Amino acid sequence: MKQNKNFMLLLAVICVLVAVLSACGGGSGPNANQAKEPASPGNTGASEASEGAVDISQEATLKLLMIGSKPTDYDEVFGELNRLLKEKMNATVETEFLDWADWTQKYPLKFAANEDFDIAYTANWAFYNDQVLKGGFLELTDEMLQQYAPKTWEALPEAAWEQAKVNGKLYMVPNNNQEVTDKVVLVREDLRKKYNLDPVNSPETYAAYLKAIAAGEKGISPFGAKPADGWKWHELDQILLEQQNEWNLVDYNFPLGYKLDDPSGKVFNVYDTPEFTQLIEYYKDLADQGAWSKNIVSNKNDVYQDIKAGKISSYAQNLGTISSNVGEIRRDKPEMEVNVADLTPDKKKIGAISTQNGMSIHAISKQPERSLMLIDLLQNDKEIHDLTMYGIAGKHYEPVGDDKYNPGPSYANYNLSGFSVWGWNSLLNRTDASYPEEGTKMLEEWQSKVHHFPLESFVFDDTKVKNEVANVGNVMLRYAIPLEYGLIKDLEKGQADLIKQLQAAGLDVIQQELQSQIDAFLAQ
Amino acid sequence: MKRSGLWNDIKKYKILLLMLTPAVLFFLLFAYVPMAGIVLAFKQYNYTGGVFGSPWNGLDNFRFFFDSGDAWRVTRNTGLYNLAFIIVNNALQIFAAILLFEAAGPWFRKITQTVMFLPYFISWVVVGAIAYNLFNYDYGTINVLLGALGLEPLDIYNTASYWPLILIVVSAWKALGYGTIMYLAAITSIDTEMYEAAEIDGANVFQRIRRITIPNLYPTAIILMLLAIGNIFRGDFGMFYNMVGNNGLLFSSTDVIDTFVFRSLTTSNEIGMSAAAGFYQSILGFATIMLANYAVRKYDSDRALF
Repeated sequence: MKQNKNFMLLLAVICVLVAVLSACGGGSGPNANQAKEPASPGNTGASEASEGAVDISQEATLKLLMIGSKPTDYDEVFGELNRLLKEKMNATVETEFLDWADWTQKYPLKFAANEDFDIAYTANWAFYNDQVLKGGFLELTDEMLQQYAPKTWEALPEAAWEQAKVNGKLYMVPNNNQEVTDKVVLVREDLRKKYNLDPVNSPETYAAYLKAIAAGEKGISPFGAKPADGWKWHELDQILLEQQNEWNLVDYNFPLGYKLDDPSGKVFNVYDTPEFTQLIEYYKDLADQGAWSKNIVSNKNDVYQDIKAGKISSYAQNLGTISSNVGEIRRDKPEMEVNVADLTPDKKKIGAISTQNGMSIHAISKQPERSLMLIDLLQNDKEIHDLTMYGIAGKHYEPVGDDKYNPGPSYANYNLSGFSVWGWNSLLNRTDASYPEEGTKMLEEWQSKVHHFPLESFVFDDTKVKNEVANVGNVMLRYAIPLEYGLIKDLEKGQADLIKQLQAAGLDVIQQELQSQIDAFLAQ
Repeated sequence: MKRSGLWNDIKKYKILLLMLTPAVLFFLLFAYVPMAGIVLAFKQYNYTGGVFGSPWNGLDNFRFFFDSGDAWRVTRNTGLYNLAFIIVNNALQIFAAILLFEAAGPWFRKITQTVMFLPYFISWVVVGAIAYNLFNYDYGTINVLLGALGLEPLDIYNTASYWPLILIVVSAWKALGYGTIMYLAAITSIDTEMYEAAEIDGANVFQRIRRITIPNLYPTAIILMLLAIGNIFRGDFGMFYNMVGNNGLLFSSTDVIDTFVFRSLTTSNEIGMSAAAGFYQSILGFATIMLANYAVRKYDSDRALF
């Protein structure tokens, strides 16, 4: 009895404490709401922007919000940057870095808490639409851009500006880099020649290549995939399912796509098509002949390192990555002959939309003019662009001509892979001098025939179907991946199972919601 | 009995209470205060509203879990795995502790203890990599050995039925050293006079173990098990995720609530939905520990937790 009393007392004390503490927490909710009000898209900058010439007599400090880890030599490079900026626009910058580990949590909070910063990195994969709709960014008018970012206004193609608009209004200075999203495969040319095979340029020649290596080379796994990280597709799907059939998947978290040449944008379940049935037969045949390890879905090794070590002979990635890999292998392992191969050379190519990277101005920034001027310099001033992208010449990189570079002695302490400097990618970008010519050529060829279509910049808002998206993703991992990697014996049953499970998980609901959003988008 | 006000107690035990303070603060801050966050399970979380200002959405956050059709399977898996871990691990730990106590000299005991303790410090990520190199179909150690003996290789990563055994063995291997030390400490604190008396009465080693050591270990074992039972519906995420990963073929026998929720929600970042799953686990855990404690109290009221 006594024991019970004590326990009750303890419980009571805890209850009181929790109540008090949660009440304190509750108080901050409404306050935060109030503070948020003034940040709605109505902008303060636009009215001032149209008046008179740029006044830079007052020194300004601009705060920059970037994603990624702070480079070791940040102080040195940005010290130099601040010296240049002081000369060119009487301003200095301070940068805050959101580490890769937890930026998805921190980034929205920076806006929610109305923290003081002027410019933020943003992208279609980094909350751009989300923050625009929540009122986090300042609207950029043509006049503002013409006046404060004249070089960028000139250099960036009209289409790039258009793609960055949300509901007809612009909130981002997108990067100026015509990437193509199509994927390619890396091929060991020495092995291909050894078995007297045709050059790899189609799904059939690729299958022949993989099978020949599976049959002839002990100790080499013909095809490799990156360690399973929740990716819900076979690594060749983008090439063999999307590019080959000229489809586009709306979101890689569920299997709904549309045909590129379908003006009505009708979406369908890609697993429920004869093309998919054929594809899993193609995959099954490869798997049965040993084209990839039986344990490919449990792989824990870095696939590129395995290729470099000669344990794997091919993998699929985007053109930029594969080309860099080829360049690196040619430099480090010249005895291993490698090349880039496009399996769908005659098909339509899809360009990366400009919002892949970009810079936006915080809605409550007090210095939107200076911020735009800074973005202009970062993107289109050769000296500043080189410095911020590649570091200090002779130390972090060695310039080769005007458009190439070699890694310098301190390359590791400052380079463009560390944090989101891609926000100001532009035509001034340099390429790694070891980057193979084939890659450059292929990219140029692709760029000349990039296919533009109305749904290019469509983004799906999944708010209403979050439960279904979560469950469909799970079904894909559990049923689609083993089926595609040829681990399920009965293909017909496997495919039927997959489709049935997807229905149960609510794919129809997503399809309806998606179709209605697409229809509304096309009607605009 | 004199007046025993709260104040008097505090004055009387102030040193003891002071020593208790860090632990109480810890649990207050990290276990009781966050409990207020349970409201998130019933809210459509958004950044402007925050934890308390976001709109309510009833039981919507629980939908993904129960609509998926996997709720029962993952809950059962979680419960059964943890039950197996508790039984197997405790039995092995008691066994190892008794062996070390009875059979080993001081040097041998110290070295064995250290060696057994080592796996406890290896992170699950590393254990996962070791397992991959053991079980891999093409070049895994096990298949290389089988091949050398002229036997058929095992396709471990594509066969769900091997995994319950693998997971139980790995869990036992990793937890052995830690638990053994606890039980060894409990054995060392048993009054040695009892052993001397038993020896004089002619009891042999096995009789001593059965009649003295094991009964004296009951309290420790029961407390450890009760503590573990409270977490029976929380899968060890590090273990399941690193051992199994995203291998869909193994999910039927290896999926636990934590891995299921992780997979479902990594792409959507929906805080409310993960809070809902956590809440579900807490409710189940709370119910089991109350039941277990009730059962223990019925049987022997001195050994119950509360």
